[in-house]
Amino acid sequence: MKNSLLVSDARTKKRNAAEARFKAYGLSAIVVAMLALAVLLTSVLTNGLSSFQQTFIALPIELSEDRVDKQGNRDPAEMAKTTTIGYAPLLRAAIVAEVERQGLTTALSDKDLGELISKEAAATVRDRVLANPDLVGQTVTFDLLASGRIDGYFKGRVTMESAALDGNTSPEALMIAQSLADAGVIDTKFNWNFFTAPDASVQRPEAAGLGVAILGSLYMMLVVLFLALPIGVASSIYLEEFAPKNRITDIIEVNISNLAAVPSIVYGILGLAIFINFMEFNQSSPLVGGLVLTLMTLPTIIISTRAALKSVPPSIRDAALGVGASKMQSVFHHVLPLAAPGILTGTIIGLAQALGETAPLLLIGMVAFVREYPAAYTPEAGLFGEASTALPVQVFNWTQRSDPAFVERASGAIITLLVFLLIMNAVAIYLRRRFERRW
Amino acid sequence: MEDMAQMDRAMSTQHDIKISAKGVQVYYGDNHAIKDVNVEIDDKTVTAFIGPSGCGKSTFLRCINRMNDTIDIARVVGDIRIDGEDIYDPKVDPVQLRAKVGMVFQKPNPFPKSIYDNVAYGPKIHGLARNKADLDEIVEKSLRKAALWNEAKDRLDSPGTGLSGGQQQRLCIARAIATAPEVLLMDEPCSALDPIATAQVEELIDELRQSYSVVIVTHSMQQAARVSQKTAFFHLGNLVEYDDTDKIFTNPHDPRTESYISGRIG
Repeated sequence: MKNSLLVSDARTKKRNAAEARFKAYGLSAIVVAMLALAVLLTSVLTNGLSSFQQTFIALPIELSEDRVDKQGNRDPAEMAKTTTIGYAPLLRAAIVAEVERQGLTTALSDKDLGELISKEAAATVRDRVLANPDLVGQTVTFDLLASGRIDGYFKGRVTMESAALDGNTSPEALMIAQSLADAGVIDTKFNWNFFTAPDASVQRPEAAGLGVAILGSLYMMLVVLFLALPIGVASSIYLEEFAPKNRITDIIEVNISNLAAVPSIVYGILGLAIFINFMEFNQSSPLVGGLVLTLMTLPTIIISTRAALKSVPPSIRDAALGVGASKMQSVFHHVLPLAAPGILTGTIIGLAQALGETAPLLLIGMVAFVREYPAAYTPEAGLFGEASTALPVQVFNWTQRSDPAFVERASGAIITLLVFLLIMNAVAIYLRRRFERRW
Repeated sequence: MEDMAQMDRAMSTQHDIKISAKGVQVYYGDNHAIKDVNVEIDDKTVTAFIGPSGCGKSTFLRCINRMNDTIDIARVVGDIRIDGEDIYDPKVDPVQLRAKVGMVFQKPNPFPKSIYDNVAYGPKIHGLARNKADLDEIVEKSLRKAALWNEAKDRLDSPGTGLSGGQQQRLCIARAIATAPEVLLMDEPCSALDPIATAQVEELIDELRQSYSVVIVTHSMQQAARVSQKTAFFHLGNLVEYDDTDKIFTNPHDPRTESYISGRIG
């Protein structure tokens, strides 16, 4: 029997079916992955985007002299004796007066009205007055943070029903807040504080920010960049170009690959033992965090740098040696420039990995609650020696707190972290495209 | 000292001995790749190494500028002298040797840099140019010698990798002669080129004979017959026969050479 090309035989049909099945598997795997990503992003964005907005109450506050400057000499040192507790009644009086001025009536007591304002607001006012004592005696309009529940109401998190069950607020408070918002006293603005303010206590989620965490992460990335990049690149160049290929270099190579697979928490234990217990650096400091992350990032950088060096064709090395370049000249004039995009990409990917790393930082105490910015420089601690925290640790910290307002904050912090990672990856892609060469 | 050597070369006939190898053995690990090769290569002559693949001709070529040093498992035994100096003497720096013995590789391998930088790199690292004008002159002279100047003079800043295959190989030759070598080693320089580019490179090799001792490894017996004055036939790591090219191709001494050039082996 003669086979026609127009009819596919059984064997061909089987092969085509297998190919179609394989394509379907691949496609479904990608669809599942995309779905997972979409669900993750939707949940983070719906929870977290609102943290970039914040509710403020604009109140004229009468800074009476007998309250804030009892001596009347405008001396900031004397005025500092008045604590935030001394300022709270001013704020309460201001909101009561504002409610009256707007002609609103409410069943709330003056004290409950005062609780519409964040506990953090008194400190804001006090700081402004201490910075500028001339304000004393004047009536100044401040944009004060609304309390977490009021903020939540305008973001849709707190409802009348939930407020009725809530010891910290009441439906009446929400109603008066709504009336104040209608009158333009309460307004929602972009939340710059989220990026500049330090962490705040459990009672005042509305004041919590990422300032210290961003700074701490930045300090650590600097330590990692300045230690891991030169050490990693130098050791890869040595191993790849200069070291003899023998049993010892084989063992080193295998162990570097093993180190890349070591769970990051192990580096945390190592850092705790060496940098804190033995070398006695300050715990919770970005210096120790950076050193631990350096140890963790080094294998990644070494492996990617060696891959980049390996991908440079040997003919380039021959060409350089052939015209009489020394080994070192051939590496630094020809091989390294060609490997640079790969090295940079590997370094940035390593940095991005370090930026998102949490576990080792928990062990060296960076999980601490840090209320104050680390001093820019102190002789005892140095620039990197003060206690700080880091972005992923701040997320970890906030997700553990009971107030639901911190869920929003944590999601906001995750978005911030993801934006930083996206920027770093974009830079890596850009550098690779920019410096990629053909040979 | 060097001046005197140059004067000697200028005064003597053109069949001065440039490279002499005695009892050269090369091992790649356990593999005995070159077995007791003795050869004397003349100055201002094109010497061709022919033989079947894997016969060791490229390996022997790479011994002459110590490129085998870069291969960890390669081991060279014996005595190779250039102008009477042992190049495997521990006092010899291979980097200095390679400036004196230029090399052109099988595959054109220009640096991914501009044409100018490709040629200028060697003179720069050896300090052959005192200033930019000097360097410009060396670059122009080298490109002219490599018969590339007319094609490249308007695009010296464009990348060397953007040239055609034949032009790239001539660029590599220009790069090799820019360091003013005395010997030029060519490892199958035309195997990646088309016939027209091959003809250009062969013509170039013939001109280079005026100034250098050229050693060329080739698979093409026609090429060896066209460009060389002396031919060495390698087989299984042995140097079978070494004589004037005419003699090798018309009246070979050894039956193995005869079989190879008549196409019965290889």
